[in-house]
Amino acid sequence: MKMTKWFTPAFLLAVLLLGLGELGARLFFAADISGRFEYGYSPDAGFDERRDGVVKLFRAGGRRFHPQSFQKQRPDGTFRVFVIGDSVPRGPSFKGAYPWLLGKELQQRQVQAESVNMALPGYGARRCQVVLKKALEFQPSLIILHVNDSNKYEDEREYRRSQEFKTWHPRNWPMKVFIFRRLYEAKTEKVFWRLVPEQIRAKFAARDADAQVAASTDPEEVRARVQLARETTAASVALARENQIPILLITQCRVWPDGRGSSYFEDHGLDALGQSLAGEGVYFLSMKEVFAHLPEGRAYFSDSGHLKESGHLLLAKAIVGKIREAHRQLGVTAFKMEAKDGGG
Amino acid sequence: MSFITWQYLLFLPLVLALYWRLPGRWRLVLLLIASYFFYACWDVRFLALVLATTVIDYLCALSIEGKSPGTVQVLLLALLPAAWLGGCSLFLPASGINTIIMAAAGALGLGFFGGHEIIRHMSPEKRPRLFLILSIGFCLGILGFFKYFGFFLDSAHNLITFLGLRPNRVLLQIILPVGISFYTFQSLGYVIDVYRGHCPACPSLLTFATYDAFFPQMVAGPIERGKHLIPQLEQTQVFDPVYLQDGLRLILVGFFKKVFVADNCAILANYVFAPQTPLNGYWAVLGVAAFAFQIYGDFSGYTDIARGSAKLLGIDLAVNFRFPYFARNPSEFWGRWHISLSTWFRDYLYIPLGGNRGSKWETIRNLAVTMVLAGLWHGANWIFVLWGAYHGLLLILYRVVPALRSLGDEKSPSVIRGVLAVALMWVFTLAGWAIFRSANLQQLGLWLAALGNWHTAGSLPWVSPSLWLLLHIAPLLLLQILTWKYRDETNLVSLPWPVKGVVYALMLLLIVSSTEHDTEFIYFQF
Repeated sequence: MKMTKWFTPAFLLAVLLLGLGELGARLFFAADISGRFEYGYSPDAGFDERRDGVVKLFRAGGRRFHPQSFQKQRPDGTFRVFVIGDSVPRGPSFKGAYPWLLGKELQQRQVQAESVNMALPGYGARRCQVVLKKALEFQPSLIILHVNDSNKYEDEREYRRSQEFKTWHPRNWPMKVFIFRRLYEAKTEKVFWRLVPEQIRAKFAARDADAQVAASTDPEEVRARVQLARETTAASVALARENQIPILLITQCRVWPDGRGSSYFEDHGLDALGQSLAGEGVYFLSMKEVFAHLPEGRAYFSDSGHLKESGHLLLAKAIVGKIREAHRQLGVTAFKMEAKDGGG
Repeated sequence: MSFITWQYLLFLPLVLALYWRLPGRWRLVLLLIASYFFYACWDVRFLALVLATTVIDYLCALSIEGKSPGTVQVLLLALLPAAWLGGCSLFLPASGINTIIMAAAGALGLGFFGGHEIIRHMSPEKRPRLFLILSIGFCLGILGFFKYFGFFLDSAHNLITFLGLRPNRVLLQIILPVGISFYTFQSLGYVIDVYRGHCPACPSLLTFATYDAFFPQMVAGPIERGKHLIPQLEQTQVFDPVYLQDGLRLILVGFFKKVFVADNCAILANYVFAPQTPLNGYWAVLGVAAFAFQIYGDFSGYTDIARGSAKLLGIDLAVNFRFPYFARNPSEFWGRWHISLSTWFRDYLYIPLGGNRGSKWETIRNLAVTMVLAGLWHGANWIFVLWGAYHGLLLILYRVVPALRSLGDEKSPSVIRGVLAVALMWVFTLAGWAIFRSANLQQLGLWLAALGNWHTAGSLPWVSPSLWLLLHIAPLLLLQILTWKYRDETNLVSLPWPVKGVVYALMLLLIVSSTEHDTEFIYFQF
């Protein structure tokens, strides 16, 4: 029996359009959609391991990596640094961020260095740990973990979203279709969250991870999230140590006007966390210590937490200083000191 | 089981696959089992009420035509609901059926049996009327007990307290069985039609039971007439691909109205009509407009899915909605909104009361009584009575005020006058929905008070939520414009097929993009 006898041409066209949309997305954008709905919790999203031994970083699966590439096998004699963190190390631009500037600074000191910026905006400790696990597969010489406490909300929200529609329960079947899920995601992010006030969503929408997390002002829950972020950072450090990879913790600080024309810096207890985790193979650099003593420390910040390019440069130099201090333990053999570094 | 669950999307194809493979009568057996299963998914106990209504009206209708079965058969059928409850208590201990419930069901059955036997031995000319009264008495008695007993008890308690007396309060928690108003009215309409000679009594209990419990329309309509549905059930259909095409189209439109329009509008309406929400005029208007589209999308969407599901079985259900928000006067509104209920009240209450055949005052009285009872049909709450009275008042005003009657004249050729009439009726309808949606008079008072406050301080921004509302009603309005000239909200048939194909694909995408809001159909509570 002809299909058109059972179904109208319009129905068949609708099915065809949707089918072609789905097929096109899966065929032509396969890499881009990998891990798309795991919202940063996919282990591999954004890492393209090519057959020629090159690893490319690209935007996928909620990971807006700066496009970069490096060899899967670290070349002999190369000092490989991976910087993992949030929007602060990701920087105002790729070449204006401290990971790139660090690479340049090290190369100027005749260190055969490659510095890869694996920082991602909105990533807190939990998702940074997922990136770290992947990064450890590529033989880094040093991991720089930028420790911030402002993205625990995003981590929790995106975790909840990643769990939606995850099982193969029949009610989740439509969301296994990429174009349906993508439209659902777009509507949620671009329309629902923007047009409907959070108070209304939290109360009257059946599933809304954003409003649920935002509405959970219960001090116990907030404290638990802070605690989880700190424990995760500690676990990330332990993971690096287990893999015998040195790790440098850079603790974020914030700068606020003090109302008397000056400003003050605060670290939200992150410096204490960094101090407590420091030890063999674990180094620590406080952003507060880098900037707070400068007469115009605030001028290096574009807002309360993000750095201007000048701030990134200053921080890169401070990191170089740290590396220099520990260059023997880090296996950096050639290290040409510049006069402005203070000699030695 | 609700239409918007994954269970239904598995249940329906399974029923269809079996239905079209079975021969003649076995299809009815399947439909009856499927219908009872569909209903029992909510609460297995209340299937006893469906059985009771079915047995009472089946026997009364036959007896009205003088075709009563034998005494033993009547007794056995009358005890069927009690037997069902007994079976449930034996095999489903979790159903919570105890001896008292079974005894009450048994007493109800025996009471009906006794009444039936007494009437059977009366003079033949009196019997039809008495069997009709027996049916109405028992069915409305069941409906009244489960739906209104608590309401009247509470009202009496409040009145006695108001008079300064101390009432001895009886506390009785009664759960409202889903869809009871719908199937009771459908069943009663059938018995009245048999009494009037408009429809023959159905000799087959299987057919009648299927008519009474037909799953696509059992819990929220359309309220079908026996003369329309029973012959379709009795006819052995041959599968026609048109059933599939029309059925799927209706279901798609229904899901679009429910999931995309109603559930998204509900978010704003629920906020505005929640207690403690600080309102200003903007939010009051926004909330009631959102509710207007929520209830329309919800109920007409349900009807479309019901009609589509039935169509897949080769059965046509009544049209229940026809562009209600384009009505020019209240009378036209009720000819377009929940048509199966408004025609039920017209045929079985308004016209028997005298309709508009008597004096002006008699007509006004008939309209008022009909609309107050239609309001009460929606729920055991004074707010529904007020809503019914409000619509009664509108009908009366449009009848007695010449300016309104002239403006709302459906035959007027003036486009401007037509637009003004629709706009005014829309405002009146919104005010009615504000009454309907308010939980009580206090909340209605707050909503009205908000219309006098247009300050925005202290309340949420209203512009972006208005855009949200607009985004969700614009596709619906577009659909209505496309289908307006065919006088059928779901008629996309005459569009060029490539356009239809794109419309179907877009509808599906819009439905799926809205799955974050799981809400039940509003009319299930009635």
